[in-house]
Amino acid sequence: MRDKPVVIEVGDGAAIPDPRDEGLFTAWRISFFGTLAIIAYLVVFRPDPYLDIIKFLPDGIVVTFQVTFASIALALVLGLIAGLGRISKNTFFNLAASTYIEVVRGIPLLVQLFYIYFALGHLVRVPDMVAAIVAMGFCYGAYMGEVFRAGILSIDTGQTEASLSLGFNRSQTMRYVVLPQAWRTILPPVGNEFIALLKDTSLVSILAVSDILRRGREFASESFLYFETYTMIALIYLVITLILSKILSNVEHRLNHYERR
Amino acid sequence: MWNTDSTIMNADNPIISIQKVHKFFGTFKALDDVSLTVNAGQKVVVLGPSGSGKSTLLRTINRLETISSGSIIVDGQDVNDPGSDINRIRAEVGMVFQSFNLFRHKSVLDNLTLAPIKLKKEPRDQAEHHAMKLLEKVGMVDKAESYPVQLSGGQQQRVAIARALAMNPKIMLFDEPTSALDPEMIGEVLDVMVTLAREGMTMVVVTHEMGFAREVADSVVFMDEGKILEIAPPNRFFDHPVHERSRRFLEQIL
Ligand SMILES: Nc1ncnc2c1ncn2[C@@H]1O[C@H](COP(=O)(O)OP(=O)(O)OP(=O)(O)O)[C@@H](O)[C@H]1O
Ligand SMILES: [Mg+2]
Repeated sequence: MRDKPVVIEVGDGAAIPDPRDEGLFTAWRISFFGTLAIIAYLVVFRPDPYLDIIKFLPDGIVVTFQVTFASIALALVLGLIAGLGRISKNTFFNLAASTYIEVVRGIPLLVQLFYIYFALGHLVRVPDMVAAIVAMGFCYGAYMGEVFRAGILSIDTGQTEASLSLGFNRSQTMRYVVLPQAWRTILPPVGNEFIALLKDTSLVSILAVSDILRRGREFASESFLYFETYTMIALIYLVITLILSKILSNVEHRLNHYERR
Repeated sequence: MWNTDSTIMNADNPIISIQKVHKFFGTFKALDDVSLTVNAGQKVVVLGPSGSGKSTLLRTINRLETISSGSIIVDGQDVNDPGSDINRIRAEVGMVFQSFNLFRHKSVLDNLTLAPIKLKKEPRDQAEHHAMKLLEKVGMVDKAESYPVQLSGGQQQRVAIARALAMNPKIMLFDEPTSALDPEMIGEVLDVMVTLAREGMTMVVVTHEMGFAREVADSVVFMDEGKILEIAPPNRFFDHPVHERSRRFLEQIL
């Protein structure tokens, strides 16, 4: 019943490792422990300047996570609405969702950030952080919309018909029958989008939001240690995304439990 | 319509009344002037070659398909009237599908209790108690905690019947419930359906199981090219089919 191919666009997030991937040397382990080893080496044997750099960054890491989580929450809500709109038979709702997706996907994220931050910020004054979150969430919501749509369409229509025939209406069917099953198809690409979004939050450093990258730029511009600073920043992004991809693959694995005999 | 059976047409208590129904898919006519009345407690078996409109007819009864013209009254309510509550009508009409369609993310027990709990607001323990009784009836008690993928086709279909019964429907519709099953599993599903029939359930069954039709049906409906060509009690239909197309169909299938 599940043999029709399910095609889902995958974002540019870090590859999610296959948990069944046994063996001592996996790409994930090599990258993760390799990165940790390099950071440890630099901090222990070259504390000046690497220890100073790493001490300067934690505030930025917190901000990066704040922006990421808030943006993904907004993107998931917008994505669900857009995804439902794209499969809706209501012409208005359908067109609105499709237009949103078309428009957002046609404009570079950086331009959208500038637009929402400077152009709209000119009209309505909102905190920098909020503007950044709205811009990121709005943009990723469009990508999420396509993920939700594909996930919902991957569920056999027989499930919907069985639900309707019991007396559930369309939205109850979506809520109790389709979406809980679609999650399994939706989760991997959502995980990828999440990681991609975390990396893209580095763009908000151009606005006045003190994320990891902006903290690093501040440090570098005072110390003129560009090479050292950006090395450390790259390593820290890498550790974070590797941890996230591991968590996501485990969650995904657990979510599949009822499909296995 | 040919040779209409009097026990159906003179019905004083129709629970399903289908009148002059036409159904188009685009320009293709899937149902062509179909009329059929079913009394409470009656068992109707629908036969006909592939593509004759059997599934379409069945699915119009609970509006999984809308109709192009005509009327369908189920338990006094016009199924296609925008004013009637279609979800309430559907709750009274159980449906069993060829491909079972059990909710794959729910255990067997949860498949049975989902609708009663969410739609009828039954307390969970009451819904589970009722569900266990139904599982006992279809011989699936020991699989209550299993997930659908862990069951054989015959087991899934028995659970699907129990799930439909959990809403206490007045009518049960079956669309080729045994066609997707390995031969050795057909019997277990038919047994459940026979039991249900004996208990007085109103049933409309699309099937190719002629033994079941002979044993259980009050009347047999024969369809071809979207039309009902013949309605007759099973003995008369199988032994003395009136219509030329019925005869050819029976020759092919028996
Ligand atoms: N959604 C649809 N869109 C277009 N045509 C359809 C649709 N559903 C059914 N049909 C057509 O309507 C006709 C009747 O279909 P239906 O499924 O009712 O036949 P059936 O008697 O149940 O056949 P089978 O024994 O193969 O199940 C067929 O020719 C079919 O191709
Ligand atoms: Mg059919």
